[in-house]
Amino acid sequence: MVTNQQQVKFYEDMVRVMLWEQRAMRLMQEGKVLAGYHSGRGQEAIPVGAITPLRDSDCIMYAHRGFGYTIQKGMSMVDMFADLMANVGGSTGGLGAGIPHFADPKLGILGQGGTLGTCFPIAAGAGFSAKYRGTDEVTICFFGDGTSNRGTFHEALNVASIWKLPVIWICENNRYAVSVPSEKSTAGRIVDRAIGYGIPGRSVDGMDVVSVYEEVTEAIDRARSGEGPTLIEAECYRFRGHHEGDPQVYREDGEIDEWRRRDPIESHRQRLIDNEVAAAEQLDGLQAQMASEVELAAQEAENFPMPGPERVFQGV
Amino acid sequence: MSDDSNAPLNVRTFSQAISDALDEELARDDSVFIWGEDIGTYGGIYGATGGLFEKHGPERVIDTPISETFIVGGGLGAALTGLRPVVELQSGGYFGIAMDELYNKVARWRYMHGGKFTVPMVVRLPEGAKGAGQEHDVSPEALFLSAFGAEIVIPSTPADAKGLLKSAIRDDRPVLFFEHAVLYATSGPIPPGDHLVPIGVADIKRPGSDVTVIAWSRMVIEALKAAEELDSEGIDIEVVDPRGLRPLDKDTIFESVEKTGRVVIAHEAPKTGGAGGEVAAIIAEEMIECLEAPIVRVASKDVTLPQSRHLQQYVLPQAAQIVDAVRSIS
Ligand SMILES: Cc1ncc(C[n+]2csc(CCOP(=O)(O)OP(=O)(O)O)c2C)c(N)n1
Repeated sequence: MVTNQQQVKFYEDMVRVMLWEQRAMRLMQEGKVLAGYHSGRGQEAIPVGAITPLRDSDCIMYAHRGFGYTIQKGMSMVDMFADLMANVGGSTGGLGAGIPHFADPKLGILGQGGTLGTCFPIAAGAGFSAKYRGTDEVTICFFGDGTSNRGTFHEALNVASIWKLPVIWICENNRYAVSVPSEKSTAGRIVDRAIGYGIPGRSVDGMDVVSVYEEVTEAIDRARSGEGPTLIEAECYRFRGHHEGDPQVYREDGEIDEWRRRDPIESHRQRLIDNEVAAAEQLDGLQAQMASEVELAAQEAENFPMPGPERVFQGV
Repeated sequence: MSDDSNAPLNVRTFSQAISDALDEELARDDSVFIWGEDIGTYGGIYGATGGLFEKHGPERVIDTPISETFIVGGGLGAALTGLRPVVELQSGGYFGIAMDELYNKVARWRYMHGGKFTVPMVVRLPEGAKGAGQEHDVSPEALFLSAFGAEIVIPSTPADAKGLLKSAIRDDRPVLFFEHAVLYATSGPIPPGDHLVPIGVADIKRPGSDVTVIAWSRMVIEALKAAEELDSEGIDIEVVDPRGLRPLDKDTIFESVEKTGRVVIAHEAPKTGGAGGEVAAIIAEEMIECLEAPIVRVASKDVTLPQSRHLQQYVLPQAAQIVDAVRSIS
């Protein structure tokens, strides 16, 4: 059972992720971001629900869809804003990137490859490491439906199964890989691949933070107790283009409106109010609080200078 | 280095030297583990991991599935989370299967994440012509010259193989460790004790005064054969083994070139795209005024290596080509 306090926290966390992104977009409009961006609007329930049950020592390999993963894992929002602007305040000390290479070893944020599908073998290796070191740490690997078609998926899921590695594979099936609909690129159901690997496969409503949280919590329990990996397919939808500037010619008529009615933040909010877990005013207050938290972080991040040429040869 | 200089030198094959290094490092440091295809009970297809499974157990000497992206990428995941993996590609020819992992990830992860991680990982790549076909018989080290985060280490003797591998395992940077498959059966003396060879330090395999022959891997053996023949003609070559390409020990190379003014560069990879071009360019850029003759490269012919061993003799460089090259500039 999810406590009322946790229910409210989910709202707070999803709102933080959404507002962070809105603020980041303002920086983009102001021409301060030297990079492209893949919005995560509409998919906030997945990183928030899945990462909530993790400990600091647990690891994630995050996807490129928004910044919810790193925010939820506890990374400094200042660092991330500064990374987008490629100034020295960023976690990468000004390297910047279109696909941000945020990392924080202390928080188990292992970084990201710009070539999709890299995440699978690395996550399996991190899972192996946790087991080898005799810990009960787990690793979550997030990836899109399109990415599930990389060959690395097979190599990693096979080995994770035979070695019972503590890895939770979470596919965010938002129905498209850039413009190509999942049914035109992907044979069968992704979750059904679990059968082939002999591991549990779970399908979950990716628009519902509580469902995601509960399913991932169970998978984490299995992984911690040595029962090995789980494949979870979260059905979801992205509300914005693949990247900012995407003409989105590929969507079917009315499709987006239908999914917007299932907005993970709005629907969770309504549920909190309907179930009398929280009052609208309380939630509005939280939202205002998140907005100022985000605003402060953005302003702080803007204050850092750009790196000089010496930065290029540091951390080689 | 040896703590007892009077102790007898231990003669070991190159592949035994590799397994000795792995054995000692596995025993020294719990965070070291090794994985690859058939490296466990089978002991590796070149015997380079023989006996390790029995001694260190299945948790640390691990047979993987035929999954090269996992072998390399999984090793990276382990390296990022506190371990020191030594992973083996059964043939260095499989580099292409795991190229994204090797080139984009292992080499670059630290830099692209702002120096937040160390990547203390070794990738062992058996390379070179051995009659296994064109995809296997490659020497791809030059492809990694622009994979800047990774060190490139290439031993030519059992002693270097052992000492360099032990240093590579202790190094916090990722190391691509190329082992010529023909060298596995060669033997040589190994200093006793905790024998470490520093990475990025060239070794003068034969001092000489007339011509500098920069050679690595199997070509060091060929250069030493060439030296004997040339000696009888009164030409005294210096064989410089850089023992790897990054870091490149420019000081030792430059010192030798300063002395001789004549340079031959020998490697088994084809001439075009081979690392000899890079080494030659460095010498030309930085000390052309010392050169008394053009730099000559001895390498495989610019063609895909034929599978037939009979035809391979027309493609692969041997001592005779080094002799010719040296004569041409003497
Ligand atoms: C190996 C590789 N191929 C292609 C790309 C270009 N690319 C970036 S995102 C993307 C779509 C990914 O789709 P999906 O995995 O479904 O995730 P989504 O973007 O829908 O969240 C593509 C093709 C890439 N970065 N890496």
